[in-house]
Amino acid sequence: MPVLETMTGTRVVAAPEALDAARWSEGAVVLRLAPDDVFAIGVGEIEVADEDAIIVAEAGFMGVWLDADELSHQVVPHIEWPLTLTRPALVQGLIAGVPAKLWLEDDRALLLCAAAYARELADRLG
Amino acid sequence: MTSSGRIVVDGRPIAFVAGDSVAVAVIRAGEHPGHGGTICLAGDCGNCVAEVDGVAYVHTCQTPARPGLVVHRHPAIGAPSLRASSQVDVASPPPARRIPVERFEADLVVIGAGDSGTAAVADAQQAGQSVTLLDAHDGMEVVAIYAGPTVIARTRTGMTHINAQDVVVAAGSAELHPVCPGNSLVGLYTARAAEQLHARGVDLGVSVAIGSPPRGVPCTALPGSLRRIEGEGRVARVVTLDEDGGGERTTPCDTVILGLGRAARNVLARMAEGLPVTVVGPAAEEFPLPAAPTAGIVCLCSGIDVDDLADVWERGFRELELVKRASLAGTGTCQGSVCLPHVRAFLAARSAEIPDPFTARPATRQITLAEAAAGVHFDVFRRTALHDEHVALGAQMDRFGGWWRPWHYGDHIAEYWAVREAVSVGDVSTLGKLVVAGPDAVEFLERLYPTGVADIRIGRSRYALLLNEGGHLIDDGMIVREAESRFVLTFTSAGAGHAEMWVRDWAETWRLRVHILDRTMSLAAINVTGPLAGLLLERVGLPSVPRFLEHVHADVCGVPCHVMRLSFTGEMSFELHHPVDRSVELWQALMARGRDLGIAPHGLQALQGLRLEKGHVIVGMDTELDSTPRRLGMEWAVKMDKPDFVGRTALARTALLTDNRRLVGLTMPGSAPTEGSPIRSEEEIVGHVSSSFASPLLGHAVMLGWLKRMPLPEQVQVDGRSASVSQPPFYDPEGSRARA
Repeated sequence: MPVLETMTGTRVVAAPEALDAARWSEGAVVLRLAPDDVFAIGVGEIEVADEDAIIVAEAGFMGVWLDADELSHQVVPHIEWPLTLTRPALVQGLIAGVPAKLWLEDDRALLLCAAAYARELADRLG
Repeated sequence: MTSSGRIVVDGRPIAFVAGDSVAVAVIRAGEHPGHGGTICLAGDCGNCVAEVDGVAYVHTCQTPARPGLVVHRHPAIGAPSLRASSQVDVASPPPARRIPVERFEADLVVIGAGDSGTAAVADAQQAGQSVTLLDAHDGMEVVAIYAGPTVIARTRTGMTHINAQDVVVAAGSAELHPVCPGNSLVGLYTARAAEQLHARGVDLGVSVAIGSPPRGVPCTALPGSLRRIEGEGRVARVVTLDEDGGGERTTPCDTVILGLGRAARNVLARMAEGLPVTVVGPAAEEFPLPAAPTAGIVCLCSGIDVDDLADVWERGFRELELVKRASLAGTGTCQGSVCLPHVRAFLAARSAEIPDPFTARPATRQITLAEAAAGVHFDVFRRTALHDEHVALGAQMDRFGGWWRPWHYGDHIAEYWAVREAVSVGDVSTLGKLVVAGPDAVEFLERLYPTGVADIRIGRSRYALLLNEGGHLIDDGMIVREAESRFVLTFTSAGAGHAEMWVRDWAETWRLRVHILDRTMSLAAINVTGPLAGLLLERVGLPSVPRFLEHVHADVCGVPCHVMRLSFTGEMSFELHHPVDRSVELWQALMARGRDLGIAPHGLQALQGLRLEKGHVIVGMDTELDSTPRRLGMEWAVKMDKPDFVGRTALARTALLTDNRRLVGLTMPGSAPTEGSPIRSEEEIVGHVSSSFASPLLGHAVMLGWLKRMPLPEQVQVDGRSASVSQPPFYDPEGSRARA
């Protein structure tokens, strides 16, 4: 199993419509954790049309990019819930009993969890 | 036929032929795989179950024989004994046999590979669906269908969990077993079982058939109905009743083959009520019930006979579910597969109504605990970023509030003194941390908390209780004002998850304009505490040390920190909230720069004593589910002149009532009594100790405890000793050290 590393980025909590309208830099990975909550990796300055938005540096996640083979052999067997076929997609739930997220792209996936869970997740995935 | 090897049954070798199941091999040797009763060879009944390679209740008819397989019959009466090692370490997780779990998804799962099952597969494939076909004969034994639907099957290598869009149950039908005197003898086979045995070359001796005869099996078909079976242990003769009722006929034989009818194998369908599950083929049929039984064993699994059923009927149990519970018929190994038609017939004959089958629940077959738990994980406990630092410092780690935390680093008294006399660091990363921002933030928090919020100045903070609608304490923490409309709220480690839900729920309920961000696992926090804490922080770059209850954003040791000055230990204290990925760097720098100041880390054991000397409560430890501010002596933290807040109505109403419960301070000489110790007054138990600590500084035990007597007595007895009731804090009551 590849090693999970700190995924630094920016956390934005704002009105859902403001997040819908926000523009993100090319190549950024933008994870919509909730209607009002985004974790964005690889973005520069962020402009969100919500003057009350909470925008903070985020270092609380650890993750690893997986290719399709690693995903299907090392992670999917530990998922008890239906995995969407839609791409791209963010899915969240227990993986090997650990709260985690998967950002699914066509040919790769980002496995992500809170840093506090990272070692347990890595241990359980073997 | 040529032997392919031998299995060992009750210590004796028995030869088998390639393709034999264990049951067939045993029958081939002239024995019964159990102790008697009809053999179906279909996995429907419990008459062939035995211990196979150390696993009890295995259907031997579904278990392929292989060389060296060890079989032990279960006792004829009672259950197989549990085997427990005398070396079991109850404090450690069991060295469980790991059962692999395969999980996959399918549009359709078809259970049963008979005619109707294969037809369902063909239809679905033609429609372009992904189909999974499961059949026990192929080693895929379906044991349960759960909501989802999720189909659970036991395979020859482990367990399979399949998430399906639809499920088709095509499990076919089971053959009826006889209920009559002598039905537990050896030498009884269903018609299909006899066909299987004949096809495998097993000699059944002189055989007679009753009912529909087996195809191709040499036997004498007897007319009439089955009356009883006779013999000593084994079948010697069978008694039938002529069709015209003319009389009994006795026929000597070695084997009785029974074609008595069928019953739908619908246990999985009954288990899946309300789910997208379709039943097809014989499993969906309503077969006629057998004649109501009049004598003999109805449920061989549990040893229930017709007299037992009659007894529970006479006692007033007249519904099927009640008869099942009162008699235990249907609760045994086969879960009613054999006895259910007969019990229904028994009731139908007495009530003139045919009762529906009783509820089915997982699992349909005996599975081991390891199989049931396959794929299940222990609850996950979080690690702070400093976990390895604690371990390297010799910490004894334990689980508190969902986290691994250091209990002590080898000497909690030394850790205590480091806090009281020098400087110490503690890992408080586990505290709940919420950011609340928005134009309605003040209004929102005023409604949420019983304390005033609007008058907290920017750069200041305030301790606050969190109450529920009943006015009962559910958590506590700090309200930290960062800007006009932006706050940081902190919560207890164990209560953080619930507090977050609580805050979000009220924000949604009131539809106020606030944003909420949970930073509990994004920010680590280190508590720097002790009389030299300010000196250390100045030394590591904090430009100006904030005053008590002030907070600043500043770099400490080069790490961006939100520095909050407060105190749980009773000494000058600063919580340094910082990005979790910089925590080790900050911890190590503080430890290095504080070495000459006598810095030492402290664990929870020392912290619990330190805060107890100050009389600070720990929510969940010193509080009960209905602890109000009045009972806790914390009415100072409630501003009843606010227009409203969660719990205000209840507090106003209960303030008019007398209340004899109080959390009080207690002191007594000597050692600290066990937490939970009863408190007695005049020989009567009047409360209990919630926290206790032998104070090194004060030289006596200090406690918090609940008293349920007013007026409060001055003296009580704890642990057989006299204790004084007193008002905390026990240490620095003016708070001069925390405010220094």
